[in-house]
Amino acid sequence: MNTRNQLIGAWCGPAFVVLFTIGYWLIAHYLPPHAPTATAEDVAALYRQHTTQIRLGMLLMMSCSGLMAGFVAVIAVQLRRIEGQTPVLTYTQLASGTVGILFFILPALLWTAAAFRPERDPELLLLLNDLGWIFFLMPFTSFVVQNLAIGLAILGNDGAAQPFPRWAGYFNCWVAVLFVPGGLLTFFKSGPFAWNGLFVFWVPLVVFLLWYGIMFVLLRSAIQRQATAGRA
Amino acid sequence: MAVADTARGARPLRHLPGEPGVWVFIAGDLVVFALLFAVFVHDRAQDPQLFLRSQGTLNQGYGLINTLLMLSSSWLVALAVLAARAGRPTAAPRLLALALLCGVGFVAAKAFEWSEKIGAGFTIASNDFFMYYYLLTGIHLLHVLIGMGVLAFLWHIARNPKPAITTLESGASFWHLVDLLWIVLFPLLYLIH
Repeated sequence: MNTRNQLIGAWCGPAFVVLFTIGYWLIAHYLPPHAPTATAEDVAALYRQHTTQIRLGMLLMMSCSGLMAGFVAVIAVQLRRIEGQTPVLTYTQLASGTVGILFFILPALLWTAAAFRPERDPELLLLLNDLGWIFFLMPFTSFVVQNLAIGLAILGNDGAAQPFPRWAGYFNCWVAVLFVPGGLLTFFKSGPFAWNGLFVFWVPLVVFLLWYGIMFVLLRSAIQRQATAGRA
Repeated sequence: MAVADTARGARPLRHLPGEPGVWVFIAGDLVVFALLFAVFVHDRAQDPQLFLRSQGTLNQGYGLINTLLMLSSSWLVALAVLAARAGRPTAAPRLLALALLCGVGFVAAKAFEWSEKIGAGFTIASNDFFMYYYLLTGIHLLHVLIGMGVLAFLWHIARNPKPAITTLESGASFWHLVDLLWIVLFPLLYLIH
């Protein structure tokens, strides 16, 4: 049985969340997010005073993002059990989940570029900082598609294999909806729909962590039940 | 024992419409809208004059038409579920089609209202009130569009001589949620003084 590899993949999820939190929050201090209203001088001061922390935090954030691949793969394996010979939603989830990794790697690289030469023109630091936040919070498409693919696969399941409970299908659809407001950050520099606002940053953040927690528990249970059924 | 006997075979006293999972989505959505409403009320308190002045430019007639359309469609959907439960397979799809038509009317009214507002120079960037106006009604409209897809799906199911009641109830519950959200949105944006 492939139980061991599946469990490793599932554990990649919490491992990613922990390492990301350490890099992004505890080391680089990107939580709470920078204000989109901050001036070039404010942003430059940030990169000049915390150069090493930002470099280190972003290195960790970039490195641990790869772990998401294992988590996405195990979800695909379990969805494949539902879909059987025509795993359209499984592949959709795998493709969009893989693309999603980029939106952790790319912002980390952009912020690294800013911290690479903190002595440069503040306007350029502002630009790189903006780019990082926009890459990080605006691209909701891949996450929405990933969650909808999982949700629809679970809700459309009428087969014998039941790796996930049906409510998890509705849960994934709900999560998908909550990532959409990220697209609105293009219009606002302040308020709940700016990139440091309630609906672009805080709600998606909480939902993202909740999703990892719930999917991890569900995956572990699915893997264990699959192993038990395989032995029987 | 007597209680258990009478309850046996009957519908449970506290019947949860639809499948339980759909309520996960509905509860989650309500939490998000509660947050949206709370943020709106909070920001409104920061600058009540601006919000009142901007609110005065809204056309309450559109809001009222939308409210009537929402309530009617919700009622039609409820009647459709009752018809399906009572085993009247011709009535249910007809009622659902009418409910869907109300949805089309709602979208049309919103389109007229928005284009009128944009034509008068009020956009999402005008001020905080209009940001909330476009976003709240926009997010709600997204729900209406998804709900219309659900109603079309229900119409398809209801044409079956033995329709899947639980699925009908699940979809109907979502449409009632869309209705409920508008019933809160309407006074919040158009009426509150």
